[in-house]
Amino acid sequence: MALVEQQRISSEQWLGAVRRARDDGFGYFDWLGCVDEIGRSATFRIVLVLRDLDRPEAPPMVLTTEVARDDPRLDSVGSVFAGAGWHEREAAELFGVEFVGGNPRRLLLSPDFSGTPLRKDEVLAARAATGWPGAKEPGEGDAPVSRPGAPAPSRRRMVPPGVPDPAVWGERDPALPPADPAEVAESAVGGRIRRNRR
Amino acid sequence: MAGVRWLDWYDDGSLLVVDVGLACCALEFEAAAVALPTSAPTLARGGRVVVVVSGTVTDRLAPAVSAIVDAAAQLGVVPTVVSFGACASSGGPYWDSYSVTKGIDQLLDVDVFVPGCPPPPAALQDVLDGLAKPKAA
Amino acid sequence: MTGEPQRRTPGHGSIVLIESACTSCMICARECPSWCITIDSHTEPVADLPAGARARTENVLDRFAIDWSLCMYCGICVDECPFDALAWSPDLASPAETLAALTAEKADLAPDQ
Repeated sequence: MALVEQQRISSEQWLGAVRRARDDGFGYFDWLGCVDEIGRSATFRIVLVLRDLDRPEAPPMVLTTEVARDDPRLDSVGSVFAGAGWHEREAAELFGVEFVGGNPRRLLLSPDFSGTPLRKDEVLAARAATGWPGAKEPGEGDAPVSRPGAPAPSRRRMVPPGVPDPAVWGERDPALPPADPAEVAESAVGGRIRRNRR
Repeated sequence: MAGVRWLDWYDDGSLLVVDVGLACCALEFEAAAVALPTSAPTLARGGRVVVVVSGTVTDRLAPAVSAIVDAAAQLGVVPTVVSFGACASSGGPYWDSYSVTKGIDQLLDVDVFVPGCPPPPAALQDVLDGLAKPKAA
Repeated sequence: MTGEPQRRTPGHGSIVLIESACTSCMICARECPSWCITIDSHTEPVADLPAGARARTENVLDRFAIDWSLCMYCGICVDECPFDALAWSPDLASPAETLAALTAEKADLAPDQ
């Protein structure tokens, strides 16, 4: 027996598919979430999990759809499951997805918060601004790098997870075009800074 | 003060304590408080008022934490503020979050910072035992 | 607060440094999820080399600090140190009246060395 029943739905058919699933017996709304697929595709994946409480042994029904990252709009399923409202509001404020016909109010973030924190290209500002103690090389202190015996300035620095390569974000060469979200997200995994690939 | 669970720590009105229990550190506070007598708390003359902040403070919740300290001051003495645990002291492991206040000293005058993640209940007991004369109102 | 006998736990109270084992490799500072470890070091030529050996340098630890206000006592630094230079101590870090006083330096973390 499968662990889940998964259906991929196009965004245009989303509301109808959710209504059909409820009418088929999956009447318990479990949760709705959002995944930033940057790096695989320029989309957000919306995931909805339903259960049939009359058949508890049946696998959960998982419905997924994708919306374009540069125009993330999807029908709200609040008319089918009122309980989806909070989940949609959370996904909306943290990822920037618009649930058409849903409640537009923020749920957790304060009204004056700006940004979409759970997008993978959204830089963790505190980490980017705070000096990472691990950036130093063994044998390096607070003294300027050009001291004799210090590591050569050309040695690639380490960056911590969550902070993009400064060449991509932060200290980017102004002559280059702005970094695309995939580039920012990919460079924030930490480790030795990669050499230029261009 | 309505709605606030004051604890008469030594059962003599000399130390009234309230916990702003926000996260895991609140469990350690509760463990320290478990054997307390349950008589109605009254602040004795010369008694001290302590507000303990236990757990992660988000920017969204920060005004409520400040409001509790302001309300505590209405008891007539300047409250002693204890930052209990890493999150209350600096944001702890969540210091880099988009939503976390990086330590309650961003909001309040803090009298004692207790390190730990979480500190054990005995650490709170030691701090409360060590508080000496009350601050002037 | 400081100067009073430190409370002890049965096991993981705080973290101590065995300075003689530390090579300033930076691994603990890099692995720490809270970024609470600060290390400064410099290089010096190795003395007392056998005749004919090529000159080598070694790292000398200048500063090793743990900010107890950030530390979440996960023990990753203890586990990751390749030289076993960090260890658990049953003594708790003491409370303090200022945040600055919660940063422990080498002298506090390796007191008997």
